[in-house]
Amino acid sequence: MTDLSQLSGMPIANAPVSFLGWAFYFTIVLLVIGFFLQKALKGYNGRVFTSGPARLAEQLYLFLENMAVGAIGSHGRKYLPMLATFWMVIFVSNVVALFFPASPTTIFGFNFGLALCSIGYVQYEGIKANGLIGHVSHFAGPKLGLALLPITIMIFVIEVFSEIMKNISLSIRIFANMSGGHAAVESMNKLGEPAFLPIGEFLLPLKVLTCLVQALIFTLLTCVYLGLVTSHDHGDEAHAH
Amino acid sequence: MSMIGLGLAILGVGLGLGMIGNGALQGMSRQPEAIGKLQVQMLIALAFVELMGFLTIFATSGFVGK
Repeated sequence: MTDLSQLSGMPIANAPVSFLGWAFYFTIVLLVIGFFLQKALKGYNGRVFTSGPARLAEQLYLFLENMAVGAIGSHGRKYLPMLATFWMVIFVSNVVALFFPASPTTIFGFNFGLALCSIGYVQYEGIKANGLIGHVSHFAGPKLGLALLPITIMIFVIEVFSEIMKNISLSIRIFANMSGGHAAVESMNKLGEPAFLPIGEFLLPLKVLTCLVQALIFTLLTCVYLGLVTSHDHGDEAHAH
Repeated sequence: MSMIGLGLAILGVGLGLGMIGNGALQGMSRQPEAIGKLQVQMLIALAFVELMGFLTIFATSGFVGK
């Protein structure tokens, strides 16, 4: 067993952030989002979007709407508030990670909480769309005869397990991408130490891209999961996991 | 030994990511009007392949095994 912290010189699995530190970083995230939304809201008062933040928020809305309608279908618009919240919290947290040694998304617990919210919301919407019985029977796959009952039970167990694993996969993805970026910068800085060159900082463009893509992927996967549980007219596609 | 395994796993992940990129780029160049749809599907596939690499990293770093 090789500890990753020995490689990078930075403890990854246990981020060195106390509860107060976590609160500090999350306060920064909330302040940035609140400030941006307030500025954006002010720009909506005129007949045209006058301020920069308002235009930026409009573009963000259009982008998310496009994604939601593409992945969920025409009824995807009603999930936009939740999706936009996920996008902004994850994106701003990721950007905070560029400037500070830690950020909410480099702490596993925060990501796990986000994933629980996302999957919980998906289950809630699934139950709302299909009813409790319909939603649970969705896990059992296509309707097979009584003779194939063991297979139906097997599919049900696997589906429930994969539903639980979605929490883990969603949370580990952001956590590993953000912590991995830090670890890579640290390692590359160590390589350049003899020549006093901060080589790792050249990774910054890549990290900015990662920030965007991770926020996008989390929101997109939430869209896909929502689309799977709420689709009515594409009954066959709903089971094509 | 775990480092060799990690390297092999990341080799596989790299090959997988490259194949997805290759397929998506070919599709996009053949049908530029489908770029929007292809990008979304490509990102989903990338996310799942990438996750395999992360899971390997966590398994070898003792995140799971300790």
